[in-house]
Amino acid sequence: MAQKPAALVIGAGIAGIQAALDIADAGYPVYLVEREPSVGGRMAQLDKTFPTLDCSSCILTPKMVSVGQHPNIELMTYSEVVAVEGEAGAFHVTIRRKPRYVEEDLCRGCGACAQACRMRGRVVDTFNQGLSKRSAIYVPFPQAVPLIYTVDPETCLYLTRGVCGKTFLCKDACPADAINFEQKERIVKVDVAAIIVATGFDLMDPRTKPEFGYGVYPNVITGLEFERLSSASGPTGGKVVLNGNEPQDVVFIHCVGSRDPHTGVPYCSRICCMYTAKHAHLVRDKLPNARITVFYIDMRAFGKGYEEFYDRVKEERVIYRRGEPSEVYRRGDRLVVRAEDSLLGRTVEVEADLVVLATAVVPRADTPAVAQLLGLACSPDGFFQEAHPKYRPVETARTGVFLAGCCQSPKDIPDTVAQAKAAAASALVVLHQTRSR
Amino acid sequence: MKPRIGVYICHCGTNVAATVDVEAVTEFAATLPGVVIARHYTYMCSEPGQALIKEDARTLGLNRVVVASCSPRMHEPTFRAASHEGGVNPYQVEMANIREQCSWVHPDRHEATDKAKALVYAAVMKAAHLEPLEEREAPVTPGALVIGGGVAGLVAALDIADAGFPVHLVERSDRLGGRVAELNRTFPDLEPVAEWLPALVDQVRRHPNITVYLNSRVTDITGFVGNFEARVGPIEAGLAPAQIQVGAIVIATGYNVFDPRLKPEFGYGIYPQVVTTLELEQRLSSGDLTVNGKTPKEVVFIKCVGSRDQQLGRPYCSRVCCMISAKQAQLVRQALPDARVTVFYMDVRTFGKRGEEFYDEARRAGVRYRRGNVSEIYRRGERVVVRVEDTLLARTVEHEADLVVLAVGMEPRPEAADIAALLKLPRSADGFLLEAHPKLRPVDTAVDGVFLAGCCQGPKDIPDTVAQAKAAAASALIPLMRGVVPMEAATAVVDPELCAGCGMCVEICPYSAPALDPLWGVSRVNAVLCKGCGACAVTCPSKAIRLQHFTPDQILAQVEALVGW
Ligand SMILES: Cc1cc2nc3c(=O)[nH]c(=O)nc-3n(C[C@H](O)[C@H](O)[C@H](O)COP(=O)(O)OP(=O)(O)OC[C@H]3O[C@@H](n4cnc5c(N)ncnc54)[C@H](O)[C@@H]3O)c2cc1C
Ligand SMILES: Cc1cc2nc3c(=O)[nH]c(=O)nc-3n(C[C@H](O)[C@H](O)[C@H](O)COP(=O)(O)OP(=O)(O)OC[C@H]3O[C@@H](n4cnc5c(N)ncnc54)[C@H](O)[C@@H]3O)c2cc1C
Ligand code: SF4
Ligand code: SF4
Repeated sequence: MAQKPAALVIGAGIAGIQAALDIADAGYPVYLVEREPSVGGRMAQLDKTFPTLDCSSCILTPKMVSVGQHPNIELMTYSEVVAVEGEAGAFHVTIRRKPRYVEEDLCRGCGACAQACRMRGRVVDTFNQGLSKRSAIYVPFPQAVPLIYTVDPETCLYLTRGVCGKTFLCKDACPADAINFEQKERIVKVDVAAIIVATGFDLMDPRTKPEFGYGVYPNVITGLEFERLSSASGPTGGKVVLNGNEPQDVVFIHCVGSRDPHTGVPYCSRICCMYTAKHAHLVRDKLPNARITVFYIDMRAFGKGYEEFYDRVKEERVIYRRGEPSEVYRRGDRLVVRAEDSLLGRTVEVEADLVVLATAVVPRADTPAVAQLLGLACSPDGFFQEAHPKYRPVETARTGVFLAGCCQSPKDIPDTVAQAKAAAASALVVLHQTRSR
Repeated sequence: MKPRIGVYICHCGTNVAATVDVEAVTEFAATLPGVVIARHYTYMCSEPGQALIKEDARTLGLNRVVVASCSPRMHEPTFRAASHEGGVNPYQVEMANIREQCSWVHPDRHEATDKAKALVYAAVMKAAHLEPLEEREAPVTPGALVIGGGVAGLVAALDIADAGFPVHLVERSDRLGGRVAELNRTFPDLEPVAEWLPALVDQVRRHPNITVYLNSRVTDITGFVGNFEARVGPIEAGLAPAQIQVGAIVIATGYNVFDPRLKPEFGYGIYPQVVTTLELEQRLSSGDLTVNGKTPKEVVFIKCVGSRDQQLGRPYCSRVCCMISAKQAQLVRQALPDARVTVFYMDVRTFGKRGEEFYDEARRAGVRYRRGNVSEIYRRGERVVVRVEDTLLARTVEHEADLVVLAVGMEPRPEAADIAALLKLPRSADGFLLEAHPKLRPVDTAVDGVFLAGCCQGPKDIPDTVAQAKAAAASALIPLMRGVVPMEAATAVVDPELCAGCGMCVEICPYSAPALDPLWGVSRVNAVLCKGCGACAVTCPSKAIRLQHFTPDQILAQVEALVGW
């Protein structure tokens, strides 16, 4: 094993997980580096997935467990790549392993520390998109891989103020004596022959479109927040309930920030038409009497089985109205969505008590920094640039560095997985050639 | 050998222990027949937890292990490995799921504890009957067969060949390149096909690891993952067929375009003014866009011809026609600057990288987009009239045109059915070949070692075709690079003394594992193909088939324990 060249995969969403598994299954060692405390990426946050509606964690968790246990994969979570030198076949990579303040080999993931933490119930839970609160010592979600707790340096009383009462409640609670506030960051150097970048995507902050009232009206939420609301493992146990109320009228708005060269991004985000159709179906499932309206410009249901799913959702009493909403405002205790219905050719107003915004998929904020680190180019839309738009969709300008998933452009899970496997194929070729040199 | 069973009850932190009285369950387990030791621990899956099993197995001479914890989907491999290290056969490990099937669903401590005991009891009774099984591996023939020489087949072949394996590339027609070779320029950069496709074809042609068979087709495939044998027959008679051995197969047989004669109201085949997008590609290449010798002044594109049309039995979207129309409309504007170009559409689906920008460019170049459903096309003098229900104006409009381009949808090739039949590959409702899982296994199939690339799985543009073709190459490279494939240990075995040779197992097996031995007239199950589903065992009227690891005495011991509880 030792003499076989290795690959580096940066980012452990479904793209990075799949690429790492393919390379490892073919017999080559892989370093899988993930910035967050757990692997999984965005897919771990989703409820069900279109068009077949299987539960996202149910299909993702086994893959997460596999990367955690694979003899050919060295998983480095809570870590970042800080330098890359060399060339294809012989890259020298420097990785910074941030301190968790918890010993990885001692922690058993029991959660006694989080139960005891003085900050319990006071820290915004970003995994739940801020819809719930957690402790300062945490795992992002119960199925996390690895199941090791991490002290959040931004909110831990000891790490931010130097004291946490008379005694560390977490340390006292830990049965394995795993908590260690003396832990320091570690720098690890590895040599690899090929690199796959799988750093994924962000979502546009809908506050950049103030006319929709996100951040002002609590019942205007994003699609990702809806996923957490609808998820059985989410803060409401899967009930679509806001401030204790079940909504009667739900309005979904497509293309919030997408296809909007003036105040948003010029491109199409590719997934929102379909996840909104899925959301509409989930609302119908949970609230049989709700009125559901979807505002769209063009309905882009292009994948295998997608048009059929859209047809089904339309039959479930979901009203699709072609038109771009111009604003959301309050009337009494309800909201009103005002839109230009382009089929009726007039302005319409629809009352709502829940408005869900399908916000644009955007490049991660640190994309330019990662591009610089690796010597990659970005395309005008801000995502990483592939070597050729048609016949080299996963290669980059730098030999030996490949792209997988949404870091190259928005995509759904099937297309992400296909592209991740494609990147794995390219990496396997480099690994083979390096080995036989 | 007399069973010596070790039982391990996991607290799973508080997940189990908060509802189930783990100590009571452990005490109970210690009293069961064959149990030598029973323990409980906070996390059985942790290093110290696994060490307990290994240590006991060695010092107490265990030959069976029962772990009561989470679902076997989570940690069965973990406990099998730990037991194995302690000298216990991995197939003599049994799990009782006291988390998902007990503590998580029963809030009452008393009831949950009682059920946990029952589950542990049943697992112990079953474990006593478990037999040791051997995990084996089969060697892999280094090499791959790629069927279809379009872009998908070319790209898949190159990756596999570049990774050092011989590739046999079989193409029906007399040239490589597939449909793309018929195209003029490609979106979203309007690059001439001549500038990139010939280079790709050339790379394949010159590759020392790739053998190309033109004018050929695959007439027979036998074998299984790692060891396929295929017969490649030349389409012209007189030439000798080739027999090839490979470890993996990539299917890249592409697509057909919809025949618009099936929509007679569009007058295709009757009016020379009406052409398909595929025909327009050729006209754009030759530079001749005239109709009846005249340069068109009004050009109309109609989208979704043969797509999104339930009446025609084609409910799906063909995924590329919106971009093709945007491309061709721009090229027509360039070639005929005086012509008006109008596109009729239902929804504009320009979703790919640079897609929306490309659509914007088309509109900036003067292409007019009108939302509407075209109901018919008829002749008026030298022109044709396109009758449209304009869904934005909510009225019918008549639009005269000199050239009408039908954006025909994609459909499965009829030849793909032959390949599907050869390999017993299922197809999805739309007729394209079916992937193993729509999200997480988009290029694998129900048959191990057979993978899908490109439009044979569903419509796609070139970038997505290439990504999928490389993905299929990755899947194919896994067994090839490993050199061995694991074999299922819990397979079906036929007792030749009992088998009457009726062949019902041969018919029922979805994996073609059993076959009748012509000499003895009895069934034999090929252990490499068998997935242990058990369909044959329950079908066999002579009770001649035993599914190892799920034998009647094992299952009955478990059932009796629960029924008697
Ligand atoms: C609301 C919503 C609903 C959706 N629903 C569906 C659906 O139903 N069906 C479907 O097919 N698709 C759906 N999608 C799309 C799906 O989420 C994506 O296709 C998928 O998550 C893309 O995976 P990825 O690995 O490319 O990116 P991500 O999931 O973003 O993963 C990237 C990973 O890389 C890590 N990372 C980032 N930068 C670095 C760095 N510099 N160093 C180390 N690690 C880094 C991140 O922490 C993350 O773990 C939905 C998306 C949204 C927003
Ligand atoms: C009018 C038109 C314009 C297009 N323009 C663009 C564009 O601008 N940009 C873009 O990205 N995409 C475009 N496309 C899509 C593009 O054609 C496809 O993405 C691409 O051809 C898919 O490649 P493939 O290899 O999967 O299939 P194909 O190109 O269909 O190739 C399949 C090959 O397999 C062979 N074959 C079939 N059955 C067998 C068998 N049983 N045995 C052996 N060989 C077999 C066939 O002869 C063929 O050579 C266009 C499509 C059309 C119709
Ligand atoms: S130091 Fe205090 S705040 Fe930090 S984890 Fe421990 S108890 Fe929580
Ligand atoms: S167990 Fe299933 S796979 Fe094996 S031979 Fe019987 S029917 Fe076929």
